[in-house]
Amino acid sequence: MSSIEHLHRSRFRASFPDPEQLLHAVAHLRAAGHRVLDTYTPFPVHGMDEALGQRPSRLPRACLAFAALGLALAAGLQIWTSAVDYPLIMGGKPLLAIPAFIPVAFELTVLLAGLGVVASFFVAARMRPRLRIPDLHPGANDDRFILAAELAADVQFPAVARELADLGALDSSLLVEDRFRRDGAFWDRPAGVGMLLLACLPAFLLLALVPVLNRDFQRRNQAWDGGMGAPLSAQAYDASGVLPGGKVLQAPPPYTLSRRGEPPLAFAAGKAEAERAGRELQNPYQPTQARFNRGKLVYERVCATCHGREGDNNGSVIVARGAFAPTVLVSPAVRDMPDGRLFHVATFGGPTKMKGYGDLLSREDRWQVVLYIRELQKAAKPVAAPAQATGVQP
Amino acid sequence: MSEIFTVPARDLTKSGIPTLADIGERLRGGAWAFVILGALCLGLGLVLQAERGWGNLLLTAFNLACVGLGGLFLLAIQSITGARWSDPILKAHRAMPALLPVAGALMLLLAFGATTLYPWARPDAASHEALHGRLGWLNPPFFFVRVALIFAAWIWVGRRLTHQGKGAAPFILVFGLTFSLANFDWLMSLEPVWSSTILAIYGFSGMFLQGIAIVTISAIVLRRVGLLPAVSKAQNHDLGKLLFAFSCFWAYIFLSQFLLIWYANLPEETGPMRLLLQGRWMPLFYLNLILNFGLPFVLLLQRRAKTNEAVLLATCTLLLAGRWLDLYLQIMPPVLHGLGPVFGPAELGGILLQLGLGHLACWPVFMKDANPAQELPQAG
Repeated sequence: MSSIEHLHRSRFRASFPDPEQLLHAVAHLRAAGHRVLDTYTPFPVHGMDEALGQRPSRLPRACLAFAALGLALAAGLQIWTSAVDYPLIMGGKPLLAIPAFIPVAFELTVLLAGLGVVASFFVAARMRPRLRIPDLHPGANDDRFILAAELAADVQFPAVARELADLGALDSSLLVEDRFRRDGAFWDRPAGVGMLLLACLPAFLLLALVPVLNRDFQRRNQAWDGGMGAPLSAQAYDASGVLPGGKVLQAPPPYTLSRRGEPPLAFAAGKAEAERAGRELQNPYQPTQARFNRGKLVYERVCATCHGREGDNNGSVIVARGAFAPTVLVSPAVRDMPDGRLFHVATFGGPTKMKGYGDLLSREDRWQVVLYIRELQKAAKPVAAPAQATGVQP
Repeated sequence: MSEIFTVPARDLTKSGIPTLADIGERLRGGAWAFVILGALCLGLGLVLQAERGWGNLLLTAFNLACVGLGGLFLLAIQSITGARWSDPILKAHRAMPALLPVAGALMLLLAFGATTLYPWARPDAASHEALHGRLGWLNPPFFFVRVALIFAAWIWVGRRLTHQGKGAAPFILVFGLTFSLANFDWLMSLEPVWSSTILAIYGFSGMFLQGIAIVTISAIVLRRVGLLPAVSKAQNHDLGKLLFAFSCFWAYIFLSQFLLIWYANLPEETGPMRLLLQGRWMPLFYLNLILNFGLPFVLLLQRRAKTNEAVLLATCTLLLAGRWLDLYLQIMPPVLHGLGPVFGPAELGGILLQLGLGHLACWPVFMKDANPAQELPQAG
């Protein structure tokens, strides 16, 4: 405690009306052996760092490090997502399209450098938020230029005060209150981690409310910008205004060959051809676990949307939209159809609504889907009554 | 404050340091040699390959005009903001506008080479699809009337600004309009199928960066001869920060132009950019970025570097070379119709002319400004 008592008696402050006098006073005090702790000025004073004998700040290094981190993060994320993990050609540009990455990389570099250097500053200066900041001098927040210093040994303050007055000081006094005291009132103490978390509590609560209010937010978004809610562009399932038949997915022109090198099928569309396929074609693949998995994948991506995941129209989008009921794949009628006929339907489409997938799925995938449908039929409970709309052909 | 923390002035009467007048004397002969040699080289270049000769003359004229405008612009913003930090160290920008009449004369010389340079000046321009409807604006008589008017405006406003210290705000207005027009007229019309609405600000960023580089060099020269008695490190630091900031600004504008052209990839916008990105111009395209942004950024990043005169001088030299290259890459690819870059007599001539004319036009004004009798202990 005695050392603190000593500090109390040895620290003093002085205020000046202009920066030149403050600079002179700092130089004078340091020359006389006093230790100038810091100065408080309304604006940065040129030459003050040198006058105080301060070493150049090390903050720029922290700034550079954070900038490099931001650059590395932005460049890494963009390169990884665009060129490695999810390579998708955009606008005919190369996957590793460096110019397109620059804006984001720049922004993140600047953002992290800015936030990081401020955070580093607080850490390096050991500054923490507190509710009340002790005033060094009433003019510190106004137009005064103030210094805080520690007396050299064996020097009495009145003598220094006289010198300071000669240098233009408006006032000077010993500091009776130690502003680094730790046993002050609650609002004078710097905040601890717990306090900081407590201060953030309202923000956390707001965040927790977001899912609850989410629906409302979406509605508001639409109200704010009607253009986003009701765009002029074509919607999914809209009839095409330009393509023949209003169909977006057009069948390939006749005699189109597969790019996979598969020889053309010796069949055409239509029910008679479907029946011929049922007679003439055999599934070239035997059911294995791998083929089951692949067939399941393709079925659930392509077929399940309309036929339902179990092949029973349950969960069918088309049925849900009230358009029409697709053929129930686990019905006895389909169960009795030969593999070749199912393959023909998968390739050329059904007699009424279903689109052919010969141009979208490989031949092997279509046969594997047939295998998978057979597994679905095995797994399905026998349909109680043939009251289903089995008149609709696959 | 200034008495405590500044470098003491050198005692000129005792040291063997040359005075400004000595330096000017020594450089004048060299400058005349540069001008004569440069004119001869450019003439030789014209004979060897007319496109290359006229292109380099356009580069020389345009860049000299930019030097003059850079000085005027610095002067104008200082006048408008009431800046006083720069008064003791910046002298050259008062001298730089002396180049404007020279640049104007060179620009008017292009009337003899317009058919070689500009597709719209050729007799068959009317049959050029891309020029359809534009020949009312782009035709030789009107073009050179505009050149004369623009230079007259610059010289007149500049004279008011440098001599009477008046009219800074009107200058900014006139400058903004005419400099944009000059960029679109003189540079963009070299390639009929090309448009970039940001070209003028791109030209400005390079022009201002070059202006700061020249002014920085002059401040360092002035200090070396002991004519800056009270210059603190902070002012050196300010020049370094300006250079750093405007080098970044140049890169920012460069990317703003490049990114949109590259991304949209529209035929009417790619124009010369496609030539630069592919083939023999490509190394120069990247060198341009390195000279104007990459190296200055790395060199000036540290605070210590910004206050170091050797680093500042090196950076300014790089920036001046970068400025020449920047203009070369804007002018030459469309003029040469797909030929690659060559450094020949025309290029050398253009550079020598810029250096020589720059010195001859600016030095007398610079001397008068930087060397007032009351500041200078006269060397015996």
